[in-house]
Amino acid sequence: MNGRAWPAEGDSRVPYWVYTDEAIYRREIERIFEGPTWSYLALECEIPDPGDYKRTSIGERSVLVVRGANGAINGFLNRCAHRGVQLCQQDTGHVDRFFVCPYHQWTYDLEGKLRGLPFVRGVKGVGGMPADFSMADHGLTPIPVQARRGAVFGSLDAQAPPLEEYFGPRMLGFYDRVFDGRELRLLGYSRQRLAANWKLMLENIKDTCHASLLHVFFVTFGLFRVDNPSKVRMDETGLHAALISERGRQELNEGTRQMQSFKAQLTLQDPRIIEAVREFPGDATVIMHTFWPNLILQQQSNTLATRQIVPRGPQEFDLHWTFFGYADDDDEMTERRLRQANLMGPGGLVSMDDGEIVARAQDGFRHAAEAAGINEMGGRDHADADHMVTDVALRAFYRGYRRVMDL
Amino acid sequence: MSLREEVEDFYAEYGEIIDGGELERWPELFAEPCLYRIVSKENHDRGLPLSLMRCDGMGMLRDRALASQKLNVYAPRAWRHSITQIRAREEHGRIAVRANFAVFETLQDEHTRVLCAGRYVDTLVRTEAGLRLREKICIYDAALIPGSIVMPL
Repeated sequence: MNGRAWPAEGDSRVPYWVYTDEAIYRREIERIFEGPTWSYLALECEIPDPGDYKRTSIGERSVLVVRGANGAINGFLNRCAHRGVQLCQQDTGHVDRFFVCPYHQWTYDLEGKLRGLPFVRGVKGVGGMPADFSMADHGLTPIPVQARRGAVFGSLDAQAPPLEEYFGPRMLGFYDRVFDGRELRLLGYSRQRLAANWKLMLENIKDTCHASLLHVFFVTFGLFRVDNPSKVRMDETGLHAALISERGRQELNEGTRQMQSFKAQLTLQDPRIIEAVREFPGDATVIMHTFWPNLILQQQSNTLATRQIVPRGPQEFDLHWTFFGYADDDDEMTERRLRQANLMGPGGLVSMDDGEIVARAQDGFRHAAEAAGINEMGGRDHADADHMVTDVALRAFYRGYRRVMDL
Repeated sequence: MSLREEVEDFYAEYGEIIDGGELERWPELFAEPCLYRIVSKENHDRGLPLSLMRCDGMGMLRDRALASQKLNVYAPRAWRHSITQIRAREEHGRIAVRANFAVFETLQDEHTRVLCAGRYVDTLVRTEAGLRLREKICIYDAALIPGSIVMPL
């Protein structure tokens, strides 16, 4: 493409033009975000009642998810069928029965059907729409949506496989561990705009090693560290992944000795922000999931969040964080989740480092199309690993990406 | 000195301490038991409890100050607080303060930008050391933060 050739070393190298090239980005929008994928849109608990809506997105496109009159969830492009005006401007809201475009008052029901428009039969015998104008042909543009256990996904391609098949049995197992069927409780939102390519956010989660080097909090208090019992699990495409780990201790050992950011002397004056209770089956205390193409599902101790990626050109993306718990959480658990949320988000003691470092990486990529990143930790293979001293999830990701992108 | 002058002096010092890189002194401006929160207007208006930063008590304030100064990794930058429209009312030994804030952020190779703007909803108390914060809620207007918030507002 445009004379771009992937480095001969293969999936263990990532040429920097994938982060900067406009033509590559346009192809990503077409093949990935507008292709046969499922993008995360919302949590069901954000739109509990008929008429509740959320303005969300698939790739660059603004999308509405609406709780319909019968309780089902409907998805539409957020665009009036008349002259293209964005129908809803608020991120979330409620309408009684109808969406009304402010420009010419085209009026749609919760199922997206056009139910009325002023002057359709004219005024005092003049004007009006042609006799053959059919309201049934001019509803909102529907998009396929599928909800599973509290989270809602949408696609712009009717050819997308069923959601369960798209995730595959293995990733579905991880998904169902967090979305275990209990009703969810919305705790709040954070949103940030980062000056970096959208793929860097997924890579950040798949890059196990950085957590043990960049993040002093993870390293020192053992929340997510390569010397802990850990696993990397992927689906067949390599595009979805789960990084699984058990919390370790603040101890100097063979691993932490090599981590300059490990602070043996560091103590928290108030350790409540990292105090956790076990709430999921199994020994894992953290699982970080990447669901292709736009969702990071975070379970770090007791802080749970979806992070939705919204691409905005090759050099910029928005990250929408939705923190949640379960409807049956007691007050103590809710407080725990809210305190641990200090680790995450745009001011997170851990994740602020990520937001900053991806922008710094992007700075390095500009005017560096001839160079490539090296993902060779742990070898050059693509197989699941029972440790975290590996870039395998990055290699598998780029193998899958190259197939989709034909690169 | 009038109440307004006292309170204005306090907020001048508050901004100076953060902007001047003396974050280790930031917790000194609070009095236990204290609460510090940064919360989006959206979460605040909808009654959603999530904070962008939340410190329950002096220990968490000190941990946050230390992290910001020494542990977190972020690009070098200058911060500048502008705290205006200060109104204070003293009742039953507490001073309720409302003020607007804007924080300007300047990164290397970039123009100065508004990081965020919003309002403070604070409670001050009188101590032997002077006015101190019992509670500080920073409610920021924007639904979208440019980059990260690497220090307290």
